[in-house]
Amino acid sequence: MPVEHDEEHFAGRLSHALHDAGDRFDADRAALVAGGLVRGRRQRLRRRAAVVGGAAGIALVGVGGALLAPWGGTPAPRPSTSTSASSVAGQPSGTPSAVPLTGRELIATLEDLLPEGKFSEQQARGTEDSMPAPYVRLVYDDGKGPGAIGVSLNRVKPGSDQARETTDCPDNALVPHDSCVSTRLSDGSLLKLFQGYEYPDRRVDTRLWSADLITPSGQHVSVSEWNAAAEKDAPISRPEPPLSTAQLKELVTAQVWRKYVEFIPDDPSKPTATVTPPSAPAEPTVEAILGTLVPLLPEDAEVVDRGSDYSYVVVDDGKGRSLVQIDVQHGMGDVADELFGSGSETLADGTKVIERKGPGDKGVAGGAMWTVDTLRTDGFRIAVSAFNAGTQHEAPTRETPALTTKQLREIALSPEWDQYR
Amino acid sequence: MRQARADEYAEFAAARAGHLYRSACLLTAGDTHLAEDLVQETLGRIYVRWGRVSRVGNPAGYAQTVLTRAFLAHQRRRSSTERATDAIPDRAATYGGHGDLPLRLTLLQALAGLPAKDRAVIVLRYWEDRSVEETADALNASSAAVRTRCTRALGRLRQLLGEDLGEYATP
Repeated sequence: MPVEHDEEHFAGRLSHALHDAGDRFDADRAALVAGGLVRGRRQRLRRRAAVVGGAAGIALVGVGGALLAPWGGTPAPRPSTSTSASSVAGQPSGTPSAVPLTGRELIATLEDLLPEGKFSEQQARGTEDSMPAPYVRLVYDDGKGPGAIGVSLNRVKPGSDQARETTDCPDNALVPHDSCVSTRLSDGSLLKLFQGYEYPDRRVDTRLWSADLITPSGQHVSVSEWNAAAEKDAPISRPEPPLSTAQLKELVTAQVWRKYVEFIPDDPSKPTATVTPPSAPAEPTVEAILGTLVPLLPEDAEVVDRGSDYSYVVVDDGKGRSLVQIDVQHGMGDVADELFGSGSETLADGTKVIERKGPGDKGVAGGAMWTVDTLRTDGFRIAVSAFNAGTQHEAPTRETPALTTKQLREIALSPEWDQYR
Repeated sequence: MRQARADEYAEFAAARAGHLYRSACLLTAGDTHLAEDLVQETLGRIYVRWGRVSRVGNPAGYAQTVLTRAFLAHQRRRSSTERATDAIPDRAATYGGHGDLPLRLTLLQALAGLPAKDRAVIVLRYWEDRSVEETADALNASSAAVRTRCTRALGRLRQLLGEDLGEYATP
């Protein structure tokens, strides 16, 4: 059939073109991973907050964390005299982060971004301590001698004197140095690459090279490196610090640091931090969901296993194990059309219901997954699925799931769930 | 999250972030900012459910499904505030491989001209190489609906790009 053949031919060429186009998008993977971690941890915290104190819990955690932080202290490594005014954040711009950034994450990130070598004497402070400015430092040895490297993160007000002092090159008469270049990058960030000395009077010739980056939104990333294993009071271990200027630039501009700046809590002395309840109710815990689900199961379905971090139970009615999964979600009204297309029905109270009988996980021969999905008018969704096996990916243990779609429907539409709306 | 599981998640996220981002760039027709946002959202959701996700056979496929659904949910939200244009202007003359733009950009423009769901079908079928059934599963749609969308989307792309995807012609 010529038409079908044509379509296949075009599809083949399209697939090639898509791969060519897609493969040219290059991501800053570390930044994506860090961003994902931030969101995941926030979501997780939201769930936990629901356990301890209901909806207000999360906001209190964020504000409480910030109140513990006395703002305006002197943050750690001060790369050089020429940037002495740069470190104290005056006008924080981000939102308070409820989940602290840990020192361990900072160390792992720095080690990940550096070229291969040996790492030792790692030290770091995240945002979990009382001081607001996170930093990480370690001794890095590329095989040509150890050198100290430090990264500190902060916020500054873009365009302020403080920001200018950080990215303007100092007068050579005041701060003797070998090289200093200040440039504006294509994304609007200002970058200063500096090569000077730890002691401006050169009483010891420890070299200090640094890179300071300030983004248009005021994120300040500062990287410093020395040709000694410590900033001060350590013998010179190599002619120059370990990273070239180009490597220093690459390190300071890594997107991940900017994400980390967002973990720094806002200045609590500013009266902007107010406790506002989240717009959607907190998600119920797995324990609560299963506590509601189990009494709704048919009497002959004995619960033989239950999830702890995901809401499922495995039941056995004497004919084999059957996995039953349930999702309880808020704010799903915006995807109603995606979920409840053709074949769905609308009940008298506006609740949408759809029943699906599918083969379950792909690759499982003979697998069956029966689902009843429901959506209340306020976006509250209950979806219950039953499988003909004890897990989603194992071979079937029985012909059909232990629950009929009628039973799944009764569970999904039970008024018991209204307590979580 | 227990350490072993956290390490496992970190390894997964680092290994898949690049591919997810490229998929997201195609889904968003080259909107790299939105793509970054969607990938972070996806990785965040996977993080929360890692215990379960890691138990299913194919976490990479699961992540792709989460990404696709996050994209569609985003489009739904957006379309309630922006005017949706379903009518695609006939721009076949300005697309096509012979135009001023490299084919890559021409292709992204053409993708942008498709409705979001059609784009998702194209990306899942021809970038992810998923079967019609797998695509239907990811989109919570029927196989028949996916087939219909696919045929329609291919027809539109052909109209927009012309027959001339020549430089990618398979031997």
